[in-house]
Amino acid sequence: MNVTTAIQAATRAFAIGGPILELDSISLRFGGVKALTNISFNICEHEIRAIIGPNGAGKSSMINVINGIYTPQEGEVRFRGERLGAMTPQRAARMGISRTFQNIALFKRMSVLDNIMAGRTLQTRATFLDVAFRTPRSRREELESREKAEEIIEFLEIEDVRKTQVAKLPYGLQKRVELGRALAAEPKLLLLDEPMAGMNVEEKQDMCRFILDVNENYGTTIVLIEHDMGVVMDISDRVVVLDYGKKIGDGPPEEVKRNQEVIDAYLGVAH
Amino acid sequence: MQSVGTGATTGARRSAPRGEALPQHAAGSGETFARLLRSNASRLADRPAYREKHRGIWRTTTWRALARDVDILAAALAGRGLKRGDHVAFLGENRPRLYAGVAAAHALGAVAMPLFPDATGPEIAPMLRLAGVTHAFVEDQEQVDKLLAILPECPALRCIVYDRERSMRPYRNPELVSYAALVEEGRAAAERSGDLVSRAIEAGDGGDAAFVFLNSGASGASHAAVLSHGGLIARARAAAAAERLSPADSTIAYLPPGWMGQAIFAYAQPMAVGYCVCCPESSETLLSDMREIAPTCFLTTPRMLDTIFSQVALRMEAAGGVNLALFNRAVALARRLGRRRLAGEPVGAAERMSAALYDAVVYGPLRDALGMSRVKVAYTSGDAVDPSILAFFRALGVNLKQLYGTTESGFLVAIQRDGAVRPDTVGAPLDGVETRISPDGEILVRAEGLFLGYLGDGDGRSVDAEGWLRTGDLGSLGADGQLRVADRAGDIGVLACGAAFAPRPIENRIKASPYVREAVVVGDGRDGVIALIDVNTTSVGRWADTHEIAFSGHRDLAGQDRVYDLVAGVLADINAELARDPATAPCVVRRFALLPEELSADDGVLTRTGKIRRTVFAQRFAPLIEAAYAGRSSASLAAREAEGSMAAGVDEVKIRDAALAPADRRAA
Amino acid sequence: MIDTVELLFFLEVLIGGLLAGVMYSLVALGFVLIYKASRVFNFAQGAMVFFAVLSFVGFMELGLPFWAAFLVTVALMILVGMTTERLVLRQLVNQSDQTLLMATIGLAFVFEGMGQLIWGVEVRRLDLGIPDVPLEWVLDSTGMFISALDISAGVVAAVMVTVLAILFSKTKIGLGLRAVADGHAAAMSIGIPLKSIWMIVWATAGVVALVAGMMWGARNGVQFALVWLALKAWPVLIIGGFTSVPGVIVAGLMVGAIEKVAEVYIGPAFGGGIEGWAPYMMAVVFLMFRPEGLFGERMIRRV
Repeated sequence: MNVTTAIQAATRAFAIGGPILELDSISLRFGGVKALTNISFNICEHEIRAIIGPNGAGKSSMINVINGIYTPQEGEVRFRGERLGAMTPQRAARMGISRTFQNIALFKRMSVLDNIMAGRTLQTRATFLDVAFRTPRSRREELESREKAEEIIEFLEIEDVRKTQVAKLPYGLQKRVELGRALAAEPKLLLLDEPMAGMNVEEKQDMCRFILDVNENYGTTIVLIEHDMGVVMDISDRVVVLDYGKKIGDGPPEEVKRNQEVIDAYLGVAH
Repeated sequence: MQSVGTGATTGARRSAPRGEALPQHAAGSGETFARLLRSNASRLADRPAYREKHRGIWRTTTWRALARDVDILAAALAGRGLKRGDHVAFLGENRPRLYAGVAAAHALGAVAMPLFPDATGPEIAPMLRLAGVTHAFVEDQEQVDKLLAILPECPALRCIVYDRERSMRPYRNPELVSYAALVEEGRAAAERSGDLVSRAIEAGDGGDAAFVFLNSGASGASHAAVLSHGGLIARARAAAAAERLSPADSTIAYLPPGWMGQAIFAYAQPMAVGYCVCCPESSETLLSDMREIAPTCFLTTPRMLDTIFSQVALRMEAAGGVNLALFNRAVALARRLGRRRLAGEPVGAAERMSAALYDAVVYGPLRDALGMSRVKVAYTSGDAVDPSILAFFRALGVNLKQLYGTTESGFLVAIQRDGAVRPDTVGAPLDGVETRISPDGEILVRAEGLFLGYLGDGDGRSVDAEGWLRTGDLGSLGADGQLRVADRAGDIGVLACGAAFAPRPIENRIKASPYVREAVVVGDGRDGVIALIDVNTTSVGRWADTHEIAFSGHRDLAGQDRVYDLVAGVLADINAELARDPATAPCVVRRFALLPEELSADDGVLTRTGKIRRTVFAQRFAPLIEAAYAGRSSASLAAREAEGSMAAGVDEVKIRDAALAPADRRAA
Repeated sequence: MIDTVELLFFLEVLIGGLLAGVMYSLVALGFVLIYKASRVFNFAQGAMVFFAVLSFVGFMELGLPFWAAFLVTVALMILVGMTTERLVLRQLVNQSDQTLLMATIGLAFVFEGMGQLIWGVEVRRLDLGIPDVPLEWVLDSTGMFISALDISAGVVAAVMVTVLAILFSKTKIGLGLRAVADGHAAAMSIGIPLKSIWMIVWATAGVVALVAGMMWGARNGVQFALVWLALKAWPVLIIGGFTSVPGVIVAGLMVGAIEKVAEVYIGPAFGGGIEGWAPYMMAVVFLMFRPEGLFGERMIRRV
C-alpha cells in the first residue's frame, strides 16, 4: 500500500526565475545629502525581496527610485532588460509596477470597491463616448473591472466592507485595501513600503499571509521594505540591508542574519 | 493545470470493498434523497435550489442544474471508486457545491458525514477512521492541510475534493482533486458509464443510511449517529406540513453543516419540499446578506439570537440621542407585550396602539435591517432560549419558535405551533412522533426516523424493545400536549441547602447581556452559586473605548476592575430577579470571576455547537472554582497554551462578590 | 379665479428664477472642477467667462459664421486653459493656498486686460438668433411670460451639466479626477497622469466659461460687468459645497429661485434690490450652520 502521505507542498507554484529588475550603482543625493550611495542589487522574477535597515537608512528612497518618483544622479535601473531613463510613476505603473505607501495613500472618500477599481485605471480603454452611450466596450470593461475587483476582495477577505468608505475603516484594513488597489493593476512587480508598520501582532500575521498568498497565487514579484527584521526574515527569499544609504548586506535571510555588519547596524545604532 | 491522479491510477488503488454488511437491493423502495432530487428537477425545474453570494453577486443553481451537476459528480465519484455504503466526509461552510457533493454521494448510495468546519485534525481523525471514510469534500486549503496531516491515520481515505483553488497550486498529493477538475472527470465518465448513476439511484432504499452526524457530546465524547433517507424525509415533510412550507419559501444557511439541524434545513427539508437555500458570502457579511435575501424561514440558535440582539443594542447605543431613547422604549414595550402574549394574557387597546406606532418607526425598520421582514417562521434550537430574547423577537413581529430534538431522535421532534408559543415549552410533537416521559422524568421518543445506531457500535442503540428512545433530556409532557424540557439529565443539581439548582436558565439570563459571551454557573453540592463569565471582547471593548479605558486584549480587558463593575451590575439585576421567586432565590449568584481566555471548542471546553462540556470545564477551572468557594479574592490559573514564543503563563484571576440586591448602576 | 392667476404669476417668477439659477450653476461648475482637481480656488473664473465670450463676439465681428466662431473660441479656450495650467499653476505645485489664490487673482487681471486689449472695451450685443421674447404658446395657454432665450439657456446649461456629470463620474477621466482630488501620490501610483488631468480640467473650465458667457452675454450684453458674475457664483459655491457637482447644481437653482421670488414678494418691503444681496445672506446662514455646504464633504482633521 502506498504510504507516502506526507504533505507534498514543498515545491513553489512559481519557481524563482532570472533577474527582472536590476539596479546598478545607484546614487541619489538631495542637495548635499547623500541618500543612497553606489547601490547595486537585483530582484528575480517571482521572489519576495526585502529591503531592510534602521530608520533613515534610505529604504524609502530606494523604493522611490524604483517607482520613478526620484531620479538617481548616478547609476542605472533596468526593468526586464529595458533601461529606464527618466522613469515616472505613471510610466512605472504602465510597465507593471504597483506600489503601496508607508502612510496609506488611499482615496479616502471612495468606497473600498471604488478604490480597488480605481487601481485598474490603466486596464480600461473606454472613452467618454463609450461611457456616455454605454457601448459594449464600456460595459464589458466595467464588468471586467468589477469582476477583478471582486476577486481581489475575496482574496483579501474584505467582503464585509466592500461598500464602506475607506476613511471609516480601521488602520489595518486600510493597509489591506491599499494592497488590493495595487493588485488590481495585475502588477508584475509589487512594491510594498512598510506594509506592516503600525500594526499589531495579529494584523502583521494576516498581512504576512496575504503577501505570501499574492506571491504564491499570482506569482507576483514582491519588494518589501520593513523596519521590523523579524517579520521579514520569515517571508522573504532574499534580503538587502541598507544603513546610512549604503548596502551592507545582501542574501538569503539566514545568511544576512549572521552578517556581522548587519548585526552591528541593528544593535549598535539606536533605531 | 493541476497534476492530479487520474481515474485510472486511483482505480488501481481501490481498497477492499466496504459496505458488504449492508443489504444490497436490486431496486430499492421508499424515498431517497437521490430520487427526490430527480423529481424536483422535473417538477420544479428552473426554480432556485441554491443561491450563493460569490464575489458580490448572488448566483443561483436551479433544481434542474443541481440534478445535472449531481449526476456528473456522481459519475466522477464512481470513477474514483465510491460505492454503495461507503462514507464521504464534508468539511466546509454551507456552499451549494458541498450539498451537491452530499447529493452525489447519496445518488451512489454512499453515506454523507458532514463535519464541523472548525474541528481540529485530531478531533476528526477517529471519526474518519471509525466510518472508514474513503472520500472527502473540503472547502479550502486550510481543510486540505487538516486532512493531509491525518492521512496516515485514515488509510481508507483516498480522494479529497477541494472547492477553492486558492493556494492549492503547489500541492501534488495524488489524493487531491479540485471540484472543477472532478466535474471535468465526471463529464467524461458520464459518457463512458452510461446509466450507471441512474441504476445506482434506482437501487437505493428508503431504509439506507443517508447521514452520519456527530452528536454534540455535551455530556462526554461525541458519538456518530446514523440516520436513514426515509426517516429524515418523513420528519422533514411532517415539519414542513406543520408550517405549510412550499417551494416558494427560502432559507439562509449559516450554521455549521456538521450540526444536524443545519443539514436538515439546508438539505433534507429543501429536498423534501423544494424551497431554496441561500448561502451567505462569509460569516462577516451574514447580516447584510440576510437583508438582501430576506428569507422566509430559517434555523438559528439562542447564541445567534443573543449576538444579533447585542449587535442591535450596541448599534443603537452608538447612535445615541432620540434614536436610542425610542429604541429603548420600543424594546421595553416589545418585551412586555411579548411576555404577555406568550403567557396568553390580554393586551390592552392603548398598548396595542403604541405597538402599531412602534411597528411603523422601530420594529418594521428593524425587521428590514435584520433581514427578517419576510420571515414566515424562524426556529431556535440546540439549547434553551432566554425568555426575554424570545419575547423580544416575537414582539418585533418575527415568528420565532422553539424546536426540540436530539441527533438520535431525528432532530425534528417537537415544534411550537402558531398560536401556541409559550416560553416554557418546546411545543407539541410532530405528526408521526410519539413522546412519553419515563418514570425517572426522561423524555422518550418513538417515531419513524430515529437513528439507526451509532457507528462502530451497531447494537448499542438506546432504544428499547417497544421502540422508545431515551433522549437523555429531562422534561414533562403537559395535559395540553406541550413538551417541556428541563435540562440535560446530568446538569440539574442540588445545592448544599437542598434547593434544586438548574444552571442553564441562570446562564441564559446572564448571557442575554450584550457584554457577556458565555457564562457558566456552578453550584451542585455547594453552598451557593458562583458564576464564571467570559466577556464579549467586541462589545466590552467598545464600552471600554467610550469610557476611555485602555486595554491591550481580551485577557487585559477581562482583568479590569471597571469591567468587573460592569458585569457586577448585570449580575445585580439578575440576582434581583432570581430573589423574587422563592424557587430560585437560593440560586442567586454569590460570587463571580471573569475568565482571562475566551472559552473555545479547541480545548474541549465547548462542543462544536458551542455548548459547555461541564465536566471538562470543571476540571479546567477547578483552582478558580475552589478559590471562589474558599472565599479568596483571586486565584492562579495556568494559561491555556503558550502563544508564540512566550512561555506558558499563569493568570491571576480576580474573584468578586456579587451584589444580592440591585446596585444603583447609574450612579457610577 | 384670482388664486389661479396668483399661482401662475408665482410659477412665472419661480421658473424665471430657476432658469437664471441654472446659469449660476454653470459658472460655479467651472470653479468646482478646478477646485476638486487641484484645490485651487480659481478667482479668474469670472474673467475667463468674460474673456471667452468677448473672443467669441470678436471672431463673429471678424466675419466668421456662428459655428466657426464657436469652434474657434472653444479651441482658444482649451488652449488658454491648458496654457494657464502649464505656465502658472504647474509652477506653483505644493505652494500654499494663499499663493495659489493670489496667482489666480493675477490671472483674472491678465484675462480682463488681454480681452479688452485685443477686442476693445465697448459693450457689444450678442445675438444667438434666439429672441428674448416670451414664448407665445405659453403666454396663450397660461398667461405666463417665459422667455425663449431663458429656456434655451436653461436647456443648454442642463445639457452641459449632464455631459460634465457623465464625464466626471463615469469615465476614466472622472475617476482620475476624483482620485487626484483625494491624493496625488496615490493617483500617480496607479498610473493616473496627474498633469494631463489638470490640463483637461482647465480646458474644460475654459469651455464651460465660454458657454456660460454666451448665455449671459446674450441676455445682458457682452460687457465688463460679466466679470462680476463670479461674485454671484460664490454664494452658489458656499451653499453647494466647493467640491460637489450636484451640490452647485442644486444650489444654483436655489439661489436663482429664491432671489427672484424674494425680489418680487418681499422686495417691496425693503424698497427693492433684494435680489442683489439675498443670495449672500443665504450663504452667510450656510456658513454659520453648514459650512461644508449641501453635499460638500465635512472637513475632518484628525491629529
